[in-house]
Amino acid sequence: MLLGRLITPARGSRRRKPSPQRLLYSSSALLSLSVLGDSGLEHYRGLYRNRAMYVAPTIAAAGLAGAAAGLTGRSGRLPAVAFRSAVVTGLAGVGFHAWNLMKKPGRLRWDRLFYGAPAGAPAALALAGVFGLMAAGRGFPRSRPPPGEAVALVTAIGLGGNIAEVALLHFRGSYQNRFMYLPIAIPGLAAAGLLAEAAWPGKLDGALASLLGATAVLGPLGMVFHSYGVSRNMGGWANFSQNVLSGPPLAAPPSFSGLALAGFAALALRNEEL
Amino acid sequence: MPDRPRARDGQAPDVFRRGGWVPMRMFRDDEAVDFLIVGTGAGGGTLACALAERGFSVVALDAGPFWRPLEDFASDETEQAKLYWRDERISGGEDPISFGSNNSGKAVGGSTVHFQMVSLRFRPEWLKARSLLGYARDWPIAWPEIEPYYEQVEEALKISGPVDFPWGPPRKRYPYRPHPVNAAGLVLARGAEALGISWAPTPLATVSAPRGMAHPCVYRGFCKFGCSTNAKQSALTVWIPRAIQAGAEIRDLAMAGRVEIGGDGLVTGVVYHREGEWRRQRARNVVVAGYSVETPRLLLNSACPAFPDGLANSSGMVGKYLMTHANHAVWGTMDEEIRWNKGPPSLALTEHWNYADDGKDFDGGYAIMSQGPMPAEWANSVAVKHGVWGIALRNRMMLYNRMAGLKIVGETLPQESNRVELAEEEDEYGLPIAKVTYGNCDNDKRLAAHSIRFMTDMMHAAGARDSWSEGGTAHLMGGCRMGDDERDSVTDSDGRTWDIPNLWICDGSLFPTAGGVNPSLTIQALALRIGDRMAALAARGELAGRRGRPSVTGR
Ligand SMILES: Cc1cc2nc3c(=O)[nH]c(=O)nc-3n(C[C@H](O)[C@H](O)[C@H](O)COP(=O)(O)OP(=O)(O)OC[C@H]3O[C@@H](n4cnc5c(N)ncnc54)[C@H](O)[C@@H]3O)c2cc1C
Ligand code: SF4
Repeated sequence: MLLGRLITPARGSRRRKPSPQRLLYSSSALLSLSVLGDSGLEHYRGLYRNRAMYVAPTIAAAGLAGAAAGLTGRSGRLPAVAFRSAVVTGLAGVGFHAWNLMKKPGRLRWDRLFYGAPAGAPAALALAGVFGLMAAGRGFPRSRPPPGEAVALVTAIGLGGNIAEVALLHFRGSYQNRFMYLPIAIPGLAAAGLLAEAAWPGKLDGALASLLGATAVLGPLGMVFHSYGVSRNMGGWANFSQNVLSGPPLAAPPSFSGLALAGFAALALRNEEL
Repeated sequence: MPDRPRARDGQAPDVFRRGGWVPMRMFRDDEAVDFLIVGTGAGGGTLACALAERGFSVVALDAGPFWRPLEDFASDETEQAKLYWRDERISGGEDPISFGSNNSGKAVGGSTVHFQMVSLRFRPEWLKARSLLGYARDWPIAWPEIEPYYEQVEEALKISGPVDFPWGPPRKRYPYRPHPVNAAGLVLARGAEALGISWAPTPLATVSAPRGMAHPCVYRGFCKFGCSTNAKQSALTVWIPRAIQAGAEIRDLAMAGRVEIGGDGLVTGVVYHREGEWRRQRARNVVVAGYSVETPRLLLNSACPAFPDGLANSSGMVGKYLMTHANHAVWGTMDEEIRWNKGPPSLALTEHWNYADDGKDFDGGYAIMSQGPMPAEWANSVAVKHGVWGIALRNRMMLYNRMAGLKIVGETLPQESNRVELAEEEDEYGLPIAKVTYGNCDNDKRLAAHSIRFMTDMMHAAGARDSWSEGGTAHLMGGCRMGDDERDSVTDSDGRTWDIPNLWICDGSLFPTAGGVNPSLTIQALALRIGDRMAALAARGELAGRRGRPSVTGR
C-alpha cells in the first residue's frame, strides 16, 4: 500500500499510471532497501570483521536516500553521486566476495559456494544504482529517458542473477519446502518475457504484466515464508536474536519486487515509445 | 533418570514436543506377537519400523529410558552420561576395550542417541574382502544386495552430505546439502591438500535445513552427549516414531533376561524385567538387537537343556570375532583460533586410505576425520592418556580454542580370540555379566602406526606448531557373525540363526569384518534388508514357527 502510494503520482495529476521514472526510482529504492537490510544483517553476523564491510550498507542507505529524493521530485547532483557509488560498490563487492570464496583451501567447491560470501548479492546494489541513474536520466546522454529495451534487458539480467543466487541457496536448503521453487519459476518466466519484449516489442504486454506482478508479490510473500523459516529454527521467534541470523534472510526477497518494478518501467517506456 | 517406564497405558513420549505424547498400540504379554525385538538402536529400532510398516505385530524392548531430547537433554557433559550403558562389564585381554561412553548406549534409540552421526557406506569390495582383497573374510551378501538399502537409509535419515562425494561407485546425491565445514575441518582440508589427497565435508545424520518437526543443526557440538534440538536423525527421532505410528509397541526400561525355548526347540518368547517384576512376552519370532556385547550375552545367558552352550551356538561362534575400530589420534596446536567444539565433531574427512591399495603395509583401510572434543572430554583425555595434571593441565586447557586434531576409524581384523563370554559376577537382575577379551594383532598395529605417521604429516602440513598422538578404540562390531556356512557363523545372510529358525539377530554383531567406516549406516541398511527378507519369507510361508508351518503372514 505504502509502495503503491509512493509510486503513484501525487493527487491531481492527470495520468493515473505511474511514470517510468517513478517506477525506476521505486525499483532503485526497493533494491537499496533490500541490500541495506540483507548486507547490514549478514555483515553484522560476520561481526564487521573487515572495515570494508561497512561500505555496502552505507552506500545502500545513500542510494535509498537518492531514490527517495528522486521520488519526491528533488533530483540533483547528490542522488546521482549516490547512484554512481552504488554501481561501483556493487561491482567491487562482487569482486570482493569472489576473492573471499577463492582464498579458502582447494578448488572452488559446492560447500564454499553454499556458505561463503554470496558472489551475486552485491550485484543488487549495482542494479539499484543503474536504475537510479536511468530514472535520473543520467548515463544515457542521447536519449532521455532510456530506451525500454535497455531497461528490459538490464532487468532480465538482474532477474537472472537473482534467480541464480536463490537457486543456489534454496538448493543448499535442499528445497525442503516445495514453495522454494516459486522464486525460480516465476521470475524465470518474467525474465524470459522481458527478453521477448526487448526483441518483439508490445507482443505480450498482458502476460508480461501478470508475470511481473507475480514477481513483485514474491517480495512480501518471500518475507512471510522466510519468517516461517526463522520460526522453524531451535527456539523459533522467541530466540530471534540468533535465528534471524541463522534462518533464511528476511530482507532478501523484496529485491524481486524491486526488479519487477523495473520491469514495469520497461513496459511503460515501450508504451510511450510505441 | 526416569525410574518408571514412560511408554505405557497406550501412549509413548512424543520426541518432538515437550511433555507431549503419541498414542501407542499395546499388546498383552500372553498374546504371541509376530516379532519381539530386544534392543531399539540402529538395528532393532530400524527393524521395528520396517516390520510394523508391513503390518506385522511388533513389540520392542529396551533396557534404557525413553527420552524427549527437547526437555531431557542438558548442555552438560556429566549429566548426559545417563545415555550410556554403564552396567558393569569385565574388560580384559592384551588391549582391553573401554565401554560406556566409548561405544554403548542404553536408551530407546540405542547408541544412536549419542552417536556422532558420521554416515558412511562400506567400500563395496569389503563385502568380499577375502576374494577381492585377499584378507579376512567374505560377507554372505554382495554389494548389489545392500546398495539399495544404503540409499533408503540415507533418504530416511535425510543425510546431509557433499554434492559430489569423492570415493566409491557413482551414487545418488545425498538428500540434504553438506554442513559448513568448521575451522577444525579446514585444518584437515589444508593437510589433505598439502599432501595431495582428496577430502570432503562429512556425510552426517543431522539436518542442514528444517525437516518436519526437527530443527536444523545449531552447531553447538553436543552431539556425542545427546542432541537437544532433534537435528540429529537418530533411531529415537526417525525410526521409533514411525514404528509407533505403524502400530509397534515400544517398552522402555525393559531388560530382557532370557530368550525362552519350547519343547520343539523353537523360541516361544522372552523373559524380561520391568517395573520391579519379571514378565514373559510370548512371540512367534524373537530378534536380538542388543549390540555386540549384549546380544551374545543374552544368547549365552539363555542356555537351556536343549542348548547347553547358549542359543544358536552349535558353531561355537556366539561371542567370537568381536571387533572394534582403531581410533588413533594426532593432536596439534595451531597459531590461529580454531574453536573446535563448534559444530558436529567431524565435519570433514578423507577416505583416501580406504580406497587406495598402494603404499600400505597392512590389510584393510582407515578413514581420517577432523575432531572437536568438548572441554571436559578433552581435559579427561589429556589427563588420563598423557598424565598431564595440575598447572600443566591448566596450561594445556588454556590452549583449548587453538587445538586441532585428526582421528581414524580404522579396520581391525576379526580374530577368534577377541570375544565375549559370561563372567561369574552377576548384575542387579541376577544375570551373569559379560567378560570381554581383546587384543590387537600385528596387522592392527601396522595400520595404527601407518595412520599416526600420516596424520602427523597432515597436521604439520596444515600448520600445527607441535603434535602428539594417542591410541584408542571406537564402535563395536561382530560377536554373532553372519555367514554362508553354519559351521563357522551364527546366522545366515538374513540374520536368521542357523540353529533356531524363529530366532534372529539384527544389529552390529552380525558384521563378519569391520571395514574402515563407522558402522551405523551399514547396520541400518542391513536391518532394512532383513525386514524385506522377513516379509518375503512370510509371503512364501517360510517364516515358520516351525519349518514348513506358516505362522506369520504380515499384511
Ligand atoms: C560415542 C559414540 C559415537 C558414535 N559415532 C558413530 C558415528 O558417528 N557413526 C556411526 O555410524 N556410528 C557411530 N557410533 C556407533 C553406533 O552408534 C553403533 O554402532 C550402533 O548404534 C549400533 O547399533 P546396534 O543396533 O547394534 O546397537 P545399539 O544402537 O547400541 O542398540 C542396542 C540397544 O539394545 C539395548 N539392549 C541391550 N541389551 C538389552 C537387553 N538385554 N534387554 C533390553 N535391551 C537391551 C540397549 O539398551 C540399546 O539401547 C557411535 C557410538 C558411540 C557410542
Ligand atoms: S551440533 Fe547439531 S547435531 Fe550436534 S548436538 Fe548440536 S544441533 Fe545437534
